[in-house]
Amino acid sequence: MIKISELQKVYRTEEVETIALNKLTFDVKEGEFVAVMGPSGCGKSTLLNILGLLDDPDGGSFLFNGTEVAHFNERKRADLRKRNIGFVFQSFNLIDELTVFENVELPLIYLGVKGPERKQRVEVVLDKMQIMHRRNHYPQQLSGGQQQRVAVARAVVNNPKLILADEPTGNLDSSNGNEVMQLLTDLNEQGTTIIMVTHSEHDSRYSHRIIRMLDGQTVTENILV
Amino acid sequence: MLKNYLKIAIRNLWKHKTFTLTNILGLAVAFGATLLLSLTAFHELSYDQFHTHKTSLQQLYREVHRPNTIENATAFPMPFTPALKTEIPDIVHASRYGEFGSNILRYKDHEFQYNTVYVDPDFLDMFSFPLIEGDKKTALNTLAGIVLTEKVKNSIFGKEEAIGRTVEMKTDTAWKPFVVTAIAKDVPENSSLEFAALIRFENTPAYQGAKDDWDRNDHDVFVELSPQTSAASFGQKLKAFTHKYYAKQAKDLKTSGAAPDKEGEFVSLRSIPLTDLHFNSIASSAGINKFYPYLLLLIAAFILFIASVNFVNLSLGRAFTRAREIGMRKVLGARRQQILSQFWGEALLICVASLMLGILLAYTLLPGYKTLFNQSLSPGILRSPWFLGSIVLGFAAVSLLAGGYPAWVLSALNTSQTVKGKITVAKNYRLRNSLMVIQFVLSGLLIICTTIVWQQLNYLRTAPLGYNKQQVLSIPIGAHIDGQRALDLMRSRLASIPNILSVTGTDINMGRGRDNSSSSSAITFEYKGKQIQSNWLRVDYDYAKTLDIQLIKGRDFSRDYSMDSAAIVINEKMAALLGDKDPLKANIPLDASHLQVVGVVKDFHFKSLHREIAPLTMVIRREWPLAYIFVKVAPTDLPGSLNAVQKVWKTINPKAESEISFLDENTDKQYRKEARLSRIFISGALLTILISCMGLFAIVVLVMGQRTKEIGIRKVLGASVASIFSLVAREFLVLVGLAVLIASPIAGWLMNKWLQDFAYHIHISIWVFLFAAAVALLIALFTISFQALKTAWLNPVDNLKSE
Repeated sequence: MIKISELQKVYRTEEVETIALNKLTFDVKEGEFVAVMGPSGCGKSTLLNILGLLDDPDGGSFLFNGTEVAHFNERKRADLRKRNIGFVFQSFNLIDELTVFENVELPLIYLGVKGPERKQRVEVVLDKMQIMHRRNHYPQQLSGGQQQRVAVARAVVNNPKLILADEPTGNLDSSNGNEVMQLLTDLNEQGTTIIMVTHSEHDSRYSHRIIRMLDGQTVTENILV
Repeated sequence: MLKNYLKIAIRNLWKHKTFTLTNILGLAVAFGATLLLSLTAFHELSYDQFHTHKTSLQQLYREVHRPNTIENATAFPMPFTPALKTEIPDIVHASRYGEFGSNILRYKDHEFQYNTVYVDPDFLDMFSFPLIEGDKKTALNTLAGIVLTEKVKNSIFGKEEAIGRTVEMKTDTAWKPFVVTAIAKDVPENSSLEFAALIRFENTPAYQGAKDDWDRNDHDVFVELSPQTSAASFGQKLKAFTHKYYAKQAKDLKTSGAAPDKEGEFVSLRSIPLTDLHFNSIASSAGINKFYPYLLLLIAAFILFIASVNFVNLSLGRAFTRAREIGMRKVLGARRQQILSQFWGEALLICVASLMLGILLAYTLLPGYKTLFNQSLSPGILRSPWFLGSIVLGFAAVSLLAGGYPAWVLSALNTSQTVKGKITVAKNYRLRNSLMVIQFVLSGLLIICTTIVWQQLNYLRTAPLGYNKQQVLSIPIGAHIDGQRALDLMRSRLASIPNILSVTGTDINMGRGRDNSSSSSAITFEYKGKQIQSNWLRVDYDYAKTLDIQLIKGRDFSRDYSMDSAAIVINEKMAALLGDKDPLKANIPLDASHLQVVGVVKDFHFKSLHREIAPLTMVIRREWPLAYIFVKVAPTDLPGSLNAVQKVWKTINPKAESEISFLDENTDKQYRKEARLSRIFISGALLTILISCMGLFAIVVLVMGQRTKEIGIRKVLGASVASIFSLVAREFLVLVGLAVLIASPIAGWLMNKWLQDFAYHIHISIWVFLFAAAVALLIALFTISFQALKTAWLNPVDNLKSE
C-alpha cells in the first residue's frame, strides 16, 4: 500500500540545516499495523506528516497504492487525504466550537456526503466508540479518554484505508490508553492499515511490526506476531 | 457545509466576545459615520444636477479690472439680456433673475410673505422646475401671470383650485393683482436657485425708469447655449459683445490707471456652468468650496480605512488562537478555497452585522447630525444610483479586503505546522505595525487640523473688529414698515428707557442677522482723473457713536448741520485712495451733486475677516431705504435690555418676522462655514481616535497574550513591573510618535493653504504639532496601560503556565 524509497526532508533556517529524513526506505502492506519508535528528533513526526500528505518531501519517492504522490499539489493531496487517510493526534485536535457529533461529521462534510446519510454514518461510528450519549457535548466537557475516542471516531468515519496515529495515548492514563489501543486493534482487524508513532513500548506491542528510527534513518525492524 | 460554517462562525464570534465587539462596534461606527458623511457629500455634489439642460446652462458675470482691484460682478443692467439674446444667436434661451427681497402676497385679506423672483418667460424652458398644473409655454406669457410653488399654493389656497385666481402683490407701495397661471413643484433642496413664486421681470419696481439704463446693475443673468456651441466660440462672441456695449467703461478704466488682463481687456464677460454654481464664490456668497464634499468623503474613507485596519489586525492576530482549527480542517481534507470561504464568510458576517448596526446608528443620529452640522439633506439622495453604488462599493471593498486578506493568509498556512498550533503569521509585525502607523497618521492629521481650525475660528470670533459688537442690537426692519419711520419711532420710544444708550439705522447689517441676509453695495466714480470704487453705506445719525467707531479727523454727521445730506464720512482706506493731503477738503462728484467729506473714521471690519478692509463711504440720504436699526445698550443687563427693545419693536412693527440679535451673534454667523468645518474635523478626529484606540487596545490584548510567557521569564529573571510596562508600551508609543511625525508636515501644508482663504489669519505655531503629539501619545498610553499593567502585575508562575 505504501512504498517509500530514498525519502528525504531537510529543514533549513538561516544558519542551521537539519536533516529530518535521510534517504528513508520502507514498505507498509495493506492491513498491516506498524509502530514507529525512536527518540525525540529522530524524524518520526516528519515521516508521519509526509505519509499523511500534510507535508511534501524534498527528495525520494512515495508511492501510495501505486501512485507517485511525492509531488502532488495541495489540492490533489487534500483530495487524496480526505478519501483515504484518517488521523489521530496526541492532543486530540478536536474543534472546540463544535459538538462531538459535529466534529465527527466534519470529514463527511468535506467529502460532500448528504445530510441524512451523514447523520446515519456518524451515529453508527459514535455507537461503536460508545460515546453516543455524549453526542451533543463540547470537547471541553469530556474526559481525555472520551476526547480521544471522539478523535478516533472522526478518523474512521469516512472509512479510510489508512489511519495515522501520532502518540494516540500520550495524553491519557493507562486504562484510557489501553481502551484506545484496543479500538485501533479492532479497526486493524477489520482491515484498516495503521501506522502509529509512539514512545511507549507497551503500546508498540499491539502492532505487527516495529520500525525503530534514529537520525532520520531506520535502524531496525522487529516483526512481532 | 454553509450551515457548518455559519454555526462555527457564530460560536467563534460568541466565544471571543471582546474581539467580536471591537470589530463590530468599530466597523459599525465607521459605517454609520461614512453613511452620514457621504450623504452630506453627495447632497452637496448633487446641487443643480437635476436640470435636463444642465450642461448648456450658464450664469454670466463681468470681470472688471479697476485700479486697485479686480471685481467680479454677477449683477447686470436691464437692457443687457435682450441685447445679448439678439446679438448672440448661440443663446437659445436667456432669462434675467431678479431677487428684490421678499414680497408680500395678499389673498382675501390674508398676507403672506414669500420670496418672489422676477424672471423672463424663457426661465421655465431653461430650467427643470416641473409644473404640476399649467403649461410652461404659456405660464409667463402675460405680465400679470404668477407661478406659485406647491407649498405656497397650499398655504394660500389650501385645497381650493388656484389656477385662474387673483392674488395681490405689494410692489413698491401699491398692491398689484396677479393671476395664478401655474403651480410648480417645490424647488428641491439641492437647487441653487430658490423661489416661492415667479413673476415676469417687467414687474420689477424700477423697470420703467431703468429698462434702458446700462449703469444700473441689479439682477443675475442665466443663458442656455445651443449644444453645438463651443466654449471658445461663445467666449469670442462675448468678447465682441463687450467691445460693443462696454467700450466706454473700458476706456474710463484705462484712463484711471487700471491694469488690463492678459488679453488686454478691462471688462470681460465670463460664464459659470450651472453645475458649478453651488461651489462658486462669485455666483453666491453662500457658495461652498468644492473641496468640502471631497473632504467629507476623504474623512469617511479615513474612518472606514481605520476600522478596516483594526479588522485585519485583529483577524490576523487571532489566527494564533485558531491555527489548530485551520490545521485540523486541512487534515480532514478541506481545500484552500474552502478555508478561505469559511473565514471570509465569517468576516462577511461581521461586516453585515456592522453595516446593519451602522445604518441603524446613522438613522438614529440623522436628526441630531442635521442640526449639529446645519446641513439639509434631500431624501432623493438615497435613491441616487451614485450614492447607492458608492455605499455598495465601500461595503464590498471593506468586506473583501478587510475580511479577505486575513482569510487568504490563514488559508495559506502550512498544514503540518498549524495542526500543532505553531504558526508564524501572528509574528508578522511589519504589516501590522505599518497599518497601525497609517491609522495614527490619519488620527494625528485630524488632531492637528482640528486644532488649527479651532484656533483660527477663535481668532475670527475674538479679533477686535474696530467696533462694539457686544453691546449693539441689530433689528432687521423687514417689508412691513417703512425703514425711516421705524427708526424715528424707535428713537422716540426708546429714549425714555434708561439702559438704551444710542439708536441708529443703516441699509447693511453687520455680519449676518436673524433675517439671514447679507448684502453689499459699491459705487464707482471719477475723482481727479482716477476711477475710484468704494463700498457705500447708508447710515443715520449716531452711527459711529452707536458702534463705538473711532473718529480720527473732522466730525460725525450731526443734526446741527442742515446740509448733511450732502456730507460723507469715510474710512482711512478711502482717504488713502482719494489721495488728498487733507481728506476733509475732498469733494466728490456723484450724480449731479457734490459730496463733501466731513469726517474720517478709523478702519473697521464692516465685512468678514476673509477680506481686507476696503474703502468705505457713509452717507445719510433719506431717499435711500434703511433696512436695519442698531441699538446700543448698557453693558449691565444685556438680556433685560434685549427684552425691553423687543417689546418696543413689537408695538411698532407687530408683523416683524425676524428676531433681534446682538452683533456678536451676527459676526459669528459669518463664519458658519468655518464653524461647520471645525465641527466636522472635531467629530472626524474623535471618531478616528476612538476607532484607532479600539484597535490598539485589542492588539495590545493579543500581544500580551502572545508574550505572556516571555514576560513571565523576564520576571523570574528579576524584571520589575515598570520595566515590563515600558518594554511593552515603548514599542507602541514609538509607532504613534512616528505617525505624528509623518502627519505634521502634511497637516501643516494643508492648513497653511486653508488659512490663505482669510485676509486675517493666525500663524501656525510649532506648539500645535507638539500638542497633537502629546494628545496622541497620552491617549495611546492610556489605552495600552490597561492590558499591559494587567499582564505585568501577574505572578510569574501564572505567566509561565500559559503555554
